[in-house]
Amino acid sequence: MPTIVADLIDRALAGFDALAATAEPVADELQYVTDLDTVWRARLRAVAAARGTEPAPPGAEAALDALVEEAGRITDPHRAIDWLSTLPQVALAALGEGA
Amino acid sequence: MRFMEARPDGRAIVYAHIQADPLVARAAGLLAGATTVQRLLARAAMNGESTDPATWRTMFPTLFGPAAPAPGDPVRDRSEAILQASLLVADRGEQTRSQFRGAIVEALTERLLAERAGPEPVRRERRILFDGRPAEIHPYDVTVERDGAGEAWDCKWGARGIKADVLHQLDDARRGAADENLKLVVGLVIFDARRSCEVRLVREKGPVALDGLKLIALEGLDRLAGRRPA
Repeated sequence: MPTIVADLIDRALAGFDALAATAEPVADELQYVTDLDTVWRARLRAVAAARGTEPAPPGAEAALDALVEEAGRITDPHRAIDWLSTLPQVALAALGEGA
Repeated sequence: MRFMEARPDGRAIVYAHIQADPLVARAAGLLAGATTVQRLLARAAMNGESTDPATWRTMFPTLFGPAAPAPGDPVRDRSEAILQASLLVADRGEQTRSQFRGAIVEALTERLLAERAGPEPVRRERRILFDGRPAEIHPYDVTVERDGAGEAWDCKWGARGIKADVLHQLDDARRGAADENLKLVVGLVIFDARRSCEVRLVREKGPVALDGLKLIALEGLDRLAGRRPA
């Protein structure tokens, strides 16, 4: 059974959650982290709603796996905040979507 | 309204060495002609952990996958060159690469503005003085100095760099020009997604009227050059 877009969005969101947890110690940026979470989660979910049952585009599954793995390597909370913006953009690009 | 050279402090002198590094000019040159996804590759790789190019090629199938242009195609070659330059930046160590990234965004902005306005009026690290107003201490990253069509831009690597003091300084310059019946375009160039910039702006704006401020995010960088986004 081919991987569908919704599966890859779920993986991206799992990577996003891990980054949010890494970013948590930066108390001054809690509001920004929350805001990023709100807008990017909504954007990713909108793609899942529109294209969720489509087969994943060529290369997208490996791309998302590499992306989530890279996000898991981020241990610095400040860099994790930056990656909370980067990860969804890269995930969307792999799925052929704009940010 | 007058533009003038900023007096370099200690930080500026150190930073000038970064700005003059050939890697900054190389990266800016590559990114000036890049697509949005190629610019996103640079953003991710310059601030990533992995230094293996294969990891990044896998992560960007539209640039390096089977459906991407073949090696030897100019678009593919640019993707490879951007990846190589980005990993060189990433390899510099945490503090240095942060400075490189900032310098690259400034150099990229300068190139794109020069494409539209010509190289002569585009300047770096300049202060703007207004009659009867105290001068701001911090210089503007890039200015376009033309009679009746001045511009002042602050450049940031990420949306998190948008802070209240930055917005206040840009707004102050715009209002100073308006008081002298002059037009000054002020704005932010952010090497990050517009979506992230907008949520940051809303929280940081304070009393600043955002309708007087231009926001150029990663997806819209070509607008600085007067081009439509690639």
